[in-house]
Amino acid sequence: MKRTGTVKVPDGKLVEVTLTGDERIESARVTGDFFLEPPAARADLEAAIEGHPVAVDRETLVEAIETVDARLIGFDAGDLADATLEAVR
Amino acid sequence: MRVRVVDSGTYSEPVQQALERVLVDRVAAGEVEPTLRFWYRETPAVPLGRFQAYDDEVEADYADERGIDVVRRITGGGAMYVEPGSVITYSLYLPRSAVSDDVEASYAELDQFAIDALRDLGLDASHEPLNDIAHPDGKIGGAAQLRTDDAVLHHTTMSYRLDTAEMLRVLRIGEEKVSDKAIQSAEKRVARISDHVDASRREVVDAMIEAVGDRYETFEGELSAAVLADARELAAERFATDEWNRKL
Repeated sequence: MKRTGTVKVPDGKLVEVTLTGDERIESARVTGDFFLEPPAARADLEAAIEGHPVAVDRETLVEAIETVDARLIGFDAGDLADATLEAVR
Repeated sequence: MRVRVVDSGTYSEPVQQALERVLVDRVAAGEVEPTLRFWYRETPAVPLGRFQAYDDEVEADYADERGIDVVRRITGGGAMYVEPGSVITYSLYLPRSAVSDDVEASYAELDQFAIDALRDLGLDASHEPLNDIAHPDGKIGGAAQLRTDDAVLHHTTMSYRLDTAEMLRVLRIGEEKVSDKAIQSAEKRVARISDHVDASRREVVDAMIEAVGDRYETFEGELSAAVLADARELAAERFATDEWNRKL
């Protein structure tokens, strides 16, 4: 099952999360017109989303995303969590 | 700081995007002077933001049919449609020590010479956070940056006389993806330099070269054969391949 969630950050960028998995998030793809430094951290953001049960709460997701050592520009961990939650719900 | 101004060289879109990687790395290594480069393109193209999904942004069949080169950048940000002669693209490659660590401030600082030049020509241009150059009628252009440990790449594209109808055919500006109606209409509104000032593209670029001289000690130069050879090789390996351009 493949699902997508999108958040348009007010005065910011667009973040899209595409997920697969039924009970757990098996794979996550994070795309959009945001900025991220270093660019390779995109894979780390995806890894932070993967593995959680689809019933994951927002706080857990935000915490996992915030452990990634990266500078998120035009969006934040909460926006990425919200896009993920939109995809799983 | 001394800044070399390169206002020559017409390249394919993959070579243009490869030059960004080569030049930012060479400036970081101290092998190349800090540089401002103006772009001259061969074909219409879509420079895609590094993290964007190809199929979300581009009408792929239409782009193929029209010979529009879709090339993923090394910088984040959004997709644009560009045509030779109808946009002005420039790149700054500077040592990191010369650029503010505050990302938002640095976008304003590094586009300021262009805004000064447009204002000198009588255009009501201003910086709009995070990374836009705006006019009361819409968006003139947008910038994107890549920061490495030792250098910053800042590149900006402004619409001089863009075919915006063609832009809307090439790019997928999905309404379902944009929740905020105001932002949606703003994104669709492009303000073109030629609609507001009676200056040729050449005159606009000349005004920009003059304006950048107020900020840095500038001198004219060209890209070296070695830099171009590296860029052509990197273009063939990466920026001309589906593996890179369609990886998302």
